[in-house]
Amino acid sequence: MKQGPGGLYAAPSILWLSVFFVAPLLIIVAYSFLTQGQRGGVEWKPTLDAYKAIANPTFLTVTVNTIVVALGATLVTILIALPCGYHMARSKRQNLLLLLVIIPFWTNFLIRIYAWIAILGNEGFLNDLLRFLGLTDEPLRFLYNRWAVGLVLVYTYLPYAILPLFSTIDKFDFSLLEAARDLGATKLKAITRVLLPNIRGGVFTAFLFTFIPIFGAYAVPLLVGGTESYMLGNLIADELTKSRNWPLAAAISLVITLVTTVGVMLLLRAGGTATLGSGGAGTKEPEEGAALPAQSVASAEGEPA
Amino acid sequence: MVSKSARAALALVVLGVLVLASACGGSGQKLYLYNWTYYIPDDVIEDFERSHGVDVIVDSYSSNEEMYNKLVAGGSGYDIVVPSGDYVSIMIAEGLLKELDLSRVPNLANVDPSAIARIGFDPDNRYSVPFMMGAAGVSVNSSKAEGYAHSWSIFGDERLRGRMTMLDDMREVLGAALKFLGYSVNDVDPAHLEQARQVVESWKPNLVKFDAEAFAKSFASGEFWVVQGYAENVFLEYDEERRGEIDFFFPQEGMPMYLDSFCILSGAQNVDTAYQFIDYMLSPEIAARVSDYLMLPSPNVPARELMTVTPNYSFDDLAAGEFKEDLGLEGLKLYNKVWRQIRVGN
Amino acid sequence: MKRSIFSKAVFAGTIVFLFLPLAVLVFYSFNESKSGSWGGFSLRWYLKLFTDSPDLWRAFGNSAIIALGSAAVATAIGTLGAIGVNWYRFRLRSYLRTVTFLPMILPEIIIGVSLLVFFSGLGIRLGLFTVFVAHVSFNLPFVFLLVLARLEEFDFSIIEAARDLGATEAQTLARVILPMIMPGIVSGFLTAVTLSLEDFVITFFVTGPGATTLPLYVYSAIRFGISPVINALSVVMILGTVALTWSMRNFLKYIAAK
Repeated sequence: MKQGPGGLYAAPSILWLSVFFVAPLLIIVAYSFLTQGQRGGVEWKPTLDAYKAIANPTFLTVTVNTIVVALGATLVTILIALPCGYHMARSKRQNLLLLLVIIPFWTNFLIRIYAWIAILGNEGFLNDLLRFLGLTDEPLRFLYNRWAVGLVLVYTYLPYAILPLFSTIDKFDFSLLEAARDLGATKLKAITRVLLPNIRGGVFTAFLFTFIPIFGAYAVPLLVGGTESYMLGNLIADELTKSRNWPLAAAISLVITLVTTVGVMLLLRAGGTATLGSGGAGTKEPEEGAALPAQSVASAEGEPA
Repeated sequence: MVSKSARAALALVVLGVLVLASACGGSGQKLYLYNWTYYIPDDVIEDFERSHGVDVIVDSYSSNEEMYNKLVAGGSGYDIVVPSGDYVSIMIAEGLLKELDLSRVPNLANVDPSAIARIGFDPDNRYSVPFMMGAAGVSVNSSKAEGYAHSWSIFGDERLRGRMTMLDDMREVLGAALKFLGYSVNDVDPAHLEQARQVVESWKPNLVKFDAEAFAKSFASGEFWVVQGYAENVFLEYDEERRGEIDFFFPQEGMPMYLDSFCILSGAQNVDTAYQFIDYMLSPEIAARVSDYLMLPSPNVPARELMTVTPNYSFDDLAAGEFKEDLGLEGLKLYNKVWRQIRVGN
Repeated sequence: MKRSIFSKAVFAGTIVFLFLPLAVLVFYSFNESKSGSWGGFSLRWYLKLFTDSPDLWRAFGNSAIIALGSAAVATAIGTLGAIGVNWYRFRLRSYLRTVTFLPMILPEIIIGVSLLVFFSGLGIRLGLFTVFVAHVSFNLPFVFLLVLARLEEFDFSIIEAARDLGATEAQTLARVILPMIMPGIVSGFLTAVTLSLEDFVITFFVTGPGATTLPLYVYSAIRFGISPVINALSVVMILGTVALTWSMRNFLKYIAAK
C-alpha cells in the first residue's frame, strides 16, 4: 500500500455514504434512546425503555426461533451448494450452468414465493402428483410450518451460496487432490483434508451471504409460515408499523447488527486470511459469464419484502 | 481501444444523470392521491382527469399502518388520503389533516345520515368526508364445509381444523373475540382482553395461520375453507362462475367495522382540485360505479338506485358492526402485549 | 469418478428445484382461469399485459430509470472508492471499509426508515429523486466490493510502470486501471441494476407521489387477484433478460479480452 491520491479516489464514496447512509443511521441510533411517541414517531425525552423492553421472554423466544431456522437453512443450503459448485467448476460449459443457476432469480421474489404456495399447497401440484401416483388419498400438508419456511429460504438463497463456492473451487488446483490420492488418501479424506481447507474462504462467504439475509427474513415466514412462524424480521416490522414503537424497533435492529458484526468478526478471525472480498463471487477469472455470479449473489442480499 | 472503456464508463455516468433528469419535470394541474390499492377503478380517475383537465397521480397502500407510518415519518407530497376511522382520529391529533370547508363538498348530502350518525372519530366531518364503509367477515367455501353457524364460533369448530385462517391483524382478531364475548371492539379493560386472548387461544389450534396477505388466493384454490377477511379480496380471486360457492357472512355477534374517508392533508399543494375530486367522488353516478366495481354496498343513498351489480352484502348487514376507534397509547400497548402472547406463545 | 456422478446428480436436482416455480408461472400465465385450477389455454393475460396495464408499465418505466440511473452513479463512485482503498493508505480508509460492510448486515426496514426520517428532516420532497439516492446508497457497497475483488488480483507495479512511462494520474486511470478492471466494473453495474430492480422494502419507505416501482406495484397487485398478468410479465421478463444476456455474451467477451 502506498501514499498517494487514495483519499481523492475515495472521497466521493466516503462523502456519499456518510451523508446518505451513516447520518440517517445515526438518527436511528438516537431514536433507540428516546421515548415512544403517543401516536408513532418519537418524543425527544431520553430513556432506556426500549432496551429494557428487549430483555423479555418474547424477544428471546423469537431470537432463538430465528437462529434455529437461519442456522438450519444455511447449513442445508451450503451442503447442497458444495457439490453444485464442484460440478460447475469441473464442467466445460461453465457459462451455461451459471446462467441456469441465475435465471430463476430474474423473477420477482414475491412471485416466486407465491409459486411455491401453488406447488406445496393441499390443492397444489405436489399433492396432485402424489394422488395421481396413488401414494396418498388425503392431501398432505407441506405448507404453513417451519419446514416450509426452511425449504423456501433454502430455495431463495441457494444461488448466493453456489456462486461464491463455484468461484473458489474453480481456482482450486485439482492436481493436489490427485497427489493426495497417490499418497494413499481415501477419496473422502482427500476431500475433507485437501479440498475443503483450500476453499475455506468460499465456504465462509457462502455462509455470510446466506445466513445474514435469512436472519432478517420477513416475507418468507409471513407467507409460508404457520401460526408459530414468527421471526425477528417480522418482529421489527410489526414494532415499527403496528405497535408504532419506533424506539423498540430501532433498538432491536441495533442489537441484531451488533451481534451479527461481532459474529462476523469472530468468524473472520477463525477463517484466517479469508476476507469478504476475496473468495467472493467476483473473483472468478473473467469470461463471458463473469458478471453473472456477482450479479446474482448480490441480488439475493436484500430480501425484497 | 483503451480509451473506449474509459469512454464507456463516462457514458454510464452521463446516462444515469440524463435518465434521472428526464424523469423530473412536466407541467399542468396535478392532484396527488394516496389511496388503498384498487379502491377506485382506473376509468373513474381517467374521467375526472378529462372533465377537470387534471393529471391525477395515484399511489397506493394496503394498510392504514403503511400509510400512516409513511406520513408520520415525514412522507409528503400528497393531497388526499383515505384513512379508516381510527386513523382519522390519530391523524387529526397528529395535525396531519386539514380542516375542511364543507360548503365545497355539496355532495356530502348524498351520504346516508345513518352512517354519519355513527361516526365517533370526527363527528361533524370537520376533517373527513365518508367514502366507503364495510367490514371483514367470514367466507366459507360451502362446497367443503356444512352444518356451521353464522357465528365467530365457527373458528372453534374442530371439524374444520387446519382449513381456517384469521387475519394477521390484532384489531380484527381481538375485535372478533371481544364481540364473541359480547364486549365492544374498542374495549381496553385488561380483564376483558384476557378473556378475549383465551378465546383466540382456543381457536388457534384450528387455524392454519394468521394471514392478511395470501388468504384469498388459497381460499380460491380450495386450500382454505373458512377465512376471515374482506369480501372484495375473496371475490376478486374467484372466477365468476364459481362465486356461488362462497358463503360470505357477518357473524351474528357483530364485528369490527371500518369507514374510509377522504381527507385533505395539511401540507396539500392542490387544495382546490382536492375539493373538486372529493365532491366528484361523492356524486351518485361515480359512487355507484365504485360500488359496482368493488361489489360493496354504497353509503351514498342516491347511488344505490344507480348500481347495476348486486353487492356481496347489503348496507343493512353492517348494522351489527361497530366502528374501530383509536385505542390510545396505553390501549395499543395492551393490545400489542396480548397479541404478541398469541403470536409468539409467551 | 464416482464423486462427479454424485455432484452431477445434486446439481441436476438443484436445477430442477430452482426451475420448479418458473414452470408454475408459465403454466399460470397461459391459464384461462385465475384461480388455481386449469381452465384451458388462453393468451388473455398476455393481451391484458400489453394492451390494458398502463400502471404496470409506468411502474416498469420508473424501475428502469431508477435501476439504470442509480447503478451508473453507484458504479462510478464505488469504482473510484475501490481503487483508492486497494492501493493507497489514507485517512478514513478503515472507516470506508466498515461503512461498506454495514448495509449487508442491517435490516432493510431500518435502512428504509432511517432514510425516510432523514429526507423528511431535510425537507426533501419524496419521489424518484429520493428513491434514486437510496438506491445509489445501497448499491454502492456492492459495486465497491466487487471491483475491489477484481483489483486485488493486480499488482501496484502496473501503476508504477505507467507512471515511469510518464503517464499522468488521469491517464493512468483512464488507460490502465479502468480497462484492467472493466469486468469487475461491469459485474458491479449489473449487480447494482439487479439489486435496484428487486428492492422493495427500502423503496417502499423513500418513494413518493408518482414514483411507484415495479416491486411496489407487484406487491399490491398480487394481493388483489390480478396476479395472472404479473405471471405473464414475469415470463416476458425472463425471456427478455435471457435474450439480453445472450446478446451481451459477445460484449462481455470483448471486454474480457481487452
